Amino acid sequence: MFDYSKKLQYPVKIDKPNPRLAAIIISQYGGPDGELAASLRYLSQRFSMPFDDQKGLLTDIGVEELNHLEMVGAIVHQLTRKLTDKQIEDSAFAPYFVDHGAGVYPVAAAGNPFTAAYIGVKGDPIADLTEDLAAEQKARVTYDNILRLSDDPDVNDVIKFLRQREIVHFQRFGESIQQLREKLNQKNVYYMNPAIDM
Amino acid sequence: MDNKKKNIQMCQGRLPAMAPLANPYVPFQLEDPPKYEGRKALIRGTLFPGLDLPFMGMVNQKEKPITPKTELQVMAFALQELALYLDTHPDDKEALELYRTYQRMLYKGKMEYSEKCGPLTHIIPVDDKTYTWLDDPWPWEYCANKEG
Repeated sequence: MFDYSKKLQYPVKIDKPNPRLAAIIISQYGGPDGELAASLRYLSQRFSMPFDDQKGLLTDIGVEELNHLEMVGAIVHQLTRKLTDKQIEDSAFAPYFVDHGAGVYPVAAAGNPFTAAYIGVKGDPIADLTEDLAAEQKARVTYDNILRLSDDPDVNDVIKFLRQREIVHFQRFGESIQQLREKLNQKNVYYMNPAIDM
Repeated sequence: MDNKKKNIQMCQGRLPAMAPLANPYVPFQLEDPPKYEGRKALIRGTLFPGLDLPFMGMVNQKEKPITPKTELQVMAFALQELALYLDTHPDDKEALELYRTYQRMLYKGKMEYSEKCGPLTHIIPVDDKTYTWLDDPWPWEYCANKEG
């Protein structure tokens, strides 16, 4: 179960509203490599993991991704505080605004709504953890791209934190695959599916 | 060991000498790795200098101002980093000891915070006369993250 704590993992304090940036950063809320996809991916994959190492790691990282989802939502919310009609009209935020106002809706920057097709749950531990390695890399690059497009120091402060978390998670998933492998047939780790056959 | 050598070593991990083909490998982080102090870890986004790999030299330099909330965030973050590390390094005794130290600090910190600043969770008892859980600000709001 989850217990809510009335605090963010890392402070989000954006002084200047900026609808253009909000329209980009929303992708890490509901886009293909965003935090909603990350949390759902890990928290769903863990059910079929046969060993405690992977059950624990996917739970711990999955929960952290929920913290990140909340932080990205906080960024978008604070970037769209008290906007004037003129600010909205003149920005790339207008197409989002017409459907969602200043609400936070899980959607990619290009406008595609969130879909479970962004995540994979294959029910095979090596396949799932290998997907997670790729997912962390793609999220890292998305944050790189946000850093290229944003010159707001308050936003970038948080984005740098979130980006660094992707690197740490990549490291842990990589180590977790090694832990898993050590429990399998070293001559052929693909001999069977340990989620089903062990 | 000179500092340069130490820095290179902390960025490198262990790979098996021989390994099954057609498998993905990430080097294992060595045990008892160098660690940042808690406040620096939070702004860098990792407790471990060996994993601190910024984009185009963009690094958060300025530590967060000390407030009751940022103090909790510092402790909770160090604990989270140690938890993920221990998930793949359960036999690292130093890390386990530090993990326990942060657990105790965070537990105490949460109690003190709740007494002083209002409820943090539904679980920790607070001696308020009225139901204060709903009170603004909520974590995503600007004024909840203001300094001081």
